[in-house]
Amino acid sequence: MPVVGVTSNTVPWELLRAAGFDPVLLSPRRRYTPLADRYMEDVFSARVKAIFDFLLSSEAAALSAVIIPRTSEQEHKLYLYLREVVRQGNSQSPPVPILYNLLHARSAEAEAYGLARTHDLKSTLEQLTGRAVEPDALATAIAEGNAARQAIRGLLQQREGPAPRLSGTEALALIGAWYFMDRVEYTTLAQEALLEIQTRAPIQGPRILIKGSLQDTPDFCAAIEAHGAIVVAEDDWWGSRAAGLDIDATIDPMRAIFDKYYFDAPSPRVFSGEIADAWFHRKATEVDGVIVYLPEEDDVIGWDYPRLRDYLNERAIPHLMVRKESSASIAAFIERLSNG
Amino acid sequence: MAEKQLECTVRAAAYQKAWFAELREDVFEKQKPYAIVQADMPLELFHAMDVPVVSNQWWAAMVSAKRLAPYYLDNLNALGYHDGLCRYCSLSLASTLASTLAGNPTQAAPWGGLPKPALLSARLTCDCIQRVFEIWAAKLGAPFVPLDAPGASELPPRWWELSRHRWSELFESHRLDFMVAQFHSLIGTLERITGSTFNFERLRTLMEGVNQQELYFEEVREMICKAPKAPVRMHEQVSNVMAAQWLRGSDWAIAHARAFRDEVKKRVDAGVAACPSERVRLMWVGAGLWHDTDFYTAFEERYGAVFVWSMYLAFGPDGYIRYGLDDPLRALASRTVSFNEQLHNPPWANEWIVEQAKAHRIDAALVLEPLGTRPSATGNLFIERALEAAGVPVLPIAADMVDARGWNGLEMRQKVGHFLERI
Ligand code: SF4
Ligand code: SF4
Repeated sequence: MPVVGVTSNTVPWELLRAAGFDPVLLSPRRRYTPLADRYMEDVFSARVKAIFDFLLSSEAAALSAVIIPRTSEQEHKLYLYLREVVRQGNSQSPPVPILYNLLHARSAEAEAYGLARTHDLKSTLEQLTGRAVEPDALATAIAEGNAARQAIRGLLQQREGPAPRLSGTEALALIGAWYFMDRVEYTTLAQEALLEIQTRAPIQGPRILIKGSLQDTPDFCAAIEAHGAIVVAEDDWWGSRAAGLDIDATIDPMRAIFDKYYFDAPSPRVFSGEIADAWFHRKATEVDGVIVYLPEEDDVIGWDYPRLRDYLNERAIPHLMVRKESSASIAAFIERLSNG
Repeated sequence: MAEKQLECTVRAAAYQKAWFAELREDVFEKQKPYAIVQADMPLELFHAMDVPVVSNQWWAAMVSAKRLAPYYLDNLNALGYHDGLCRYCSLSLASTLASTLAGNPTQAAPWGGLPKPALLSARLTCDCIQRVFEIWAAKLGAPFVPLDAPGASELPPRWWELSRHRWSELFESHRLDFMVAQFHSLIGTLERITGSTFNFERLRTLMEGVNQQELYFEEVREMICKAPKAPVRMHEQVSNVMAAQWLRGSDWAIAHARAFRDEVKKRVDAGVAACPSERVRLMWVGAGLWHDTDFYTAFEERYGAVFVWSMYLAFGPDGYIRYGLDDPLRALASRTVSFNEQLHNPPWANEWIVEQAKAHRIDAALVLEPLGTRPSATGNLFIERALEAAGVPVLPIAADMVDARGWNGLEMRQKVGHFLERI
């Protein structure tokens, strides 16, 4: 099956799958990004820079295409940069970039626009493969995706309640895998993992919710958990919110797929703030403390922080804001929580 | 501040001041509505409804020129907004947030400060702007009307050759349709606020007026390209152009553009140069350095180096003129959808700037690398490389447009001096 890269959670896996592709989230780890550095300013996040570097390298030759959603401004720019490097003849042959113009502000116009672009994406994929995406294939892909979501929700249950059994460090690795794997295979493995986790003793320690920059590695969780806390949720698309609700299998599949990615996928561009905050508001009341992580490169969530801080203060929910992963204040915060 | 060489510049500043005083009076005494909007909004829709607009960037530049930015931004940071966040678009918000502080210097805010608007509106370009405006709207107790911004995916070469007559080919039709649909909702809001009905004829007339205004600017641009020495300094170009752009299409704006053209023409005819010792023609790429506009004349005496180009004048004719106004809303949509691509993103920004550099006989370019305005620093490396490939030496200037904190004017002038000595 030809492999296509995607850069975020908001590219409809089911559609790519039904078109006969093997979708993979691009999440390369790169300490140095010499190819990207030639074109991309330092203001880009390390994640986007690493993706760009990867796409310009020979490693990307295995990808038939890369689908970039308009889920952040940086991704739109990544798309334009990639095209420009190709136009200038400065790259051997990076995968074909495809922009998925999904918008995230909630309005009747943006909704209609996004639905139409989802149909466009389907046509583009059909052109790439030379064959139509059949309704049956969509139904199968939706069923596969939903089964994997169910498996993830099973894992997430082990992070809930007063006695969680799954650490954040493990959860991020277990959940994150679904972005890279065949989802049928993923479902089986996740279910097996769940059976094992259910037999464990609960993990002790203050339960933490993380908010802020994307947790696409377990490192920050591990840094928190090293102090005796347990990360039970993170408000981004990698961990707790990766699965969300199922795709409605009873309505028109294209509409159902679009609805899922428009209404139920976290993105930095979700608007209004009230809608964007809803999940956080609910989750924050279920934990012992919140850690907001705003690293140097943050230029978005920092705008939300004072509002979220006020929300937490009003409800007397303990919280801490850190700008460095290895902040000494984390230990003190957790100790405070542990001592009640 | 450098002396103003053109009478027009003095008149533009006086007019803006009087305009703002009248706006305040209308809002406070007659409860008339006005709007705070992002610079890249379709101001014409507001003008057609007689709703005056204050642009966020204009206000930020004013605050910055009054040297109030450090106080406001320190306060913004003290409220918990960290110092890595965008400053250009948030300085005006910061001024509003500071107005609730005890002992605040809002009395010293430019021209008495911003009154409460009837609405705020912005295009959702970067991911931060929706946040800045939402916070601001909540603080001011006024609604925020966003226009979402899909990304461009077809970018034909030499956009400026298509933008006037063939704009419907230049921009993807789904993006234009979407923008028009959003305009209809915005018009609905404006109708509710004003209690009057939108008049499409009026919009068409305004758009024709904008065309006329931009043609005057084009004549000025031509004169700057062709005259042996630049007849008008960059900073004065900006003052005259922007005073008219914020009110574009109005009788005053058209008349001012004409007067500006006439005055520049008189200077060219008489062989008057902004800097008689001009030897090096400089280009300023990026938004203005509003907290230190003297920077733009600092290299004339010693190096004969004159800033002759910035996007503010040059973008007018290429970015704004639209012919074929049967559907003025769609034409306006075409003017609105891609400001960002045209000014900040490859391939359009780099291609256009190189073209401009050639036409203006540019010897060297200074490219602003905005420090505190991170997301708008993009596209710069493509621009720098393209300029260099075209034989134009480039000096990147790391600075914030509005925030003087961390700006060392002396050091930067020395740095530019060394650069000029080398080229
Ligand atoms: S990125 Fe540009 S539009 Fe966005 S807040 Fe910064 S200066 Fe404003
Ligand atoms: S990002 Fe650029 S175009 Fe957008 S508002 Fe800021 S300066 Fe203007």
